[in-house]
Amino acid sequence: MTDQATADGVGRQAPVTPPDSRSALAGRLPRALHPGAWWLWALGLATAASHTTNPLPLALLIAAAALVVVRRRGDAPWAFAFRMYLILGAVIVAMRVVFRLVFGGGQGDHVLLHLPEIPLPAWAAGIRLFGPVAAEQLLGGFYDGLRLATMLICLGAANALANPKRLLKAVPGALYAVSTAVVVALSVAPQLVESVLRVRRARRLRGAARQGLRALRGIALPVLADALDRSLALAAAMDSRGYGRTAAIPAGQRALTGGLVLAGLVGVCVGTYGLLDATVPGYLGLPMLIVGLATAVAGMLLAGRQVRRSRYRPDRWRITEVVVAGCGVATAVVMAVAGSVDPVRLYPPVSPLTWPELTPLMLLVVAVAVAPAWLAPPPTLAAHRTPRPVLTAPNGTTRSSPKRDTSESEAQR
Amino acid sequence: MTTALRIAPRTAVVLVLASVAALATFSWPFFVPAQPESMARTTEAPLVFIAVLPILLALVLAELSSGGIDSKALAMLGVLAAVNAALRPLGAGTAGIETVFFLLVLAGRVFGPGFGFLLGATSLFASALLTAGVGPWLPFQMLAAAWIGLGAGLLPARLRGRAEIAVLAGYGALAAYGYGLLMNLWFWPFSIGADTQLSYVAGAPVLDNLHRFAVFTAVTSTFGWDTGRAITTVMAIVLVGPAVLAALRRAARRAAFDAPVTFATTPGPAIPPGQASGLGVRPPG
Repeated sequence: MTDQATADGVGRQAPVTPPDSRSALAGRLPRALHPGAWWLWALGLATAASHTTNPLPLALLIAAAALVVVRRRGDAPWAFAFRMYLILGAVIVAMRVVFRLVFGGGQGDHVLLHLPEIPLPAWAAGIRLFGPVAAEQLLGGFYDGLRLATMLICLGAANALANPKRLLKAVPGALYAVSTAVVVALSVAPQLVESVLRVRRARRLRGAARQGLRALRGIALPVLADALDRSLALAAAMDSRGYGRTAAIPAGQRALTGGLVLAGLVGVCVGTYGLLDATVPGYLGLPMLIVGLATAVAGMLLAGRQVRRSRYRPDRWRITEVVVAGCGVATAVVMAVAGSVDPVRLYPPVSPLTWPELTPLMLLVVAVAVAPAWLAPPPTLAAHRTPRPVLTAPNGTTRSSPKRDTSESEAQR
Repeated sequence: MTTALRIAPRTAVVLVLASVAALATFSWPFFVPAQPESMARTTEAPLVFIAVLPILLALVLAELSSGGIDSKALAMLGVLAAVNAALRPLGAGTAGIETVFFLLVLAGRVFGPGFGFLLGATSLFASALLTAGVGPWLPFQMLAAAWIGLGAGLLPARLRGRAEIAVLAGYGALAAYGYGLLMNLWFWPFSIGADTQLSYVAGAPVLDNLHRFAVFTAVTSTFGWDTGRAITTVMAIVLVGPAVLAALRRAARRAAFDAPVTFATTPGPAIPPGQASGLGVRPPG
């Protein structure tokens, strides 16, 4: 991707660019950003959203995420998932409000309308449906739901912007095997469609015209058998390419990593208990949980050093990645500052009913959050991509068919 | 029964500890204390648990694969996860039709508990990536599905024939309801928020909260989604279970997971090139 992006830029900018100025320019050339940067940015936005129930900054954060997505998403299938998260967010808000309407307790002074009450039978003792609907109650549900929906939509933005396949390449060594299995699954899934088509064609050639459940069985089982055979062939191919090479780790170090993981998990269990039991001292709660997690993760990372692997075209963490991730962190930090300066504006009280207000700090939060729409490099789109140099045989036929070519470039992303 | 992935004693301990902690991340509304600052507590606690669970899951997955997964088991894992991920959209959108669990149960049965755990987690992860459904719910779904695969691998090994299908179908129904219950439990505090009559009450007796949760889950999903999911799973296991089991067992025999890999010491062309590639033994099937 990187050299392609630079090739793109060279074509458009100057014919010859010295290497150092090219690396300075790399921020502006179309390229895919490191997926971790997008995730950090999105998590920062989600953290900021979790610190307020004020609908004005929340709506502005949603708008900021949407603008960045629209300006910087690529044209891969996952890039168009953002709409689904918007719908899901709307569903969450609607659900909260409807639940308050149906099961609400009727707290609040400004009763909007009286619905007939329906008492439920004894097995649901104490619960009645409908009843008076207060504005405070609905507004509380709306605020809460909007906060959750905003956090979700921020994560949806990361889904649309970051390439999951490249993110899988960046997992720590201890998770290498599992991430390889996921990569295998992602690459095999499209082949299943082709397998289904092949089996159906073979069935038709044999004159099997049965419909319904039997036909389904006649297709599903051969496809499964085909997939299982494919897995054995794949395993042989992986073996022949040196999969499973491990570094020699002394027994003492292995015992240490195992001990770290076990001790950490015990700490996590104690910390969880401490968090949920109010009678134990405070240090057994969240601090214990964090210490336990840190210990276990350290053990896991140490264990990952056993895995030896080489990377093909690694994603580098450059200045633009730092800037984008920094925007996310700054969003969260400024929002936290705004919360400590003026907590009432961030959590506008529902009763008495008050109009939510914006403060300059909140506007600063939104401005920082939306900055990657201009700071991040534009995405590489298939339409703008320079044609891949195709190896041509002397008689003029291309070496690889177009279909093969797209699947190849898909795998490299 | 073959085991595609051995679970060492240390891994078992890690699995149990992490599962206990993870269960708390599902069921915290029953135990969360009422405190003076309970308002802050109830908004923070869910976020803490949402952040903790992915790490726990990563720890368990790393531990399960720490001995290095055999390449055949890994390829099998990837391919079965792909089949599961491809099956999942078939049911989505139609209320309560769930097509993921039957293959997960059958594969966990054939390839053992460790493999079943990994398959549950990777299937849902791959499916979420394919349909772009990554969100805070994903680790919880992955863990619940992983437990289903693990449990299927722990069913009594001797059963064969009709009794096996009957047990698997029963387990499938149980798993379908259990999965629905767990996901409801996770979603409960988030879906309706505080102060409705179905919300959890921090500090209330466990039974009281259980009652509220029972009403919530009965109202929202048990009769629709969960029953539909159980029926689909049972029907799939009964109808195609025997054939799928046979196909999986044949693949397990051909892969020969249990066969020890030996390196011949005799120099010269004693080893045929086909066998030197790491397969170790000629597959018997």
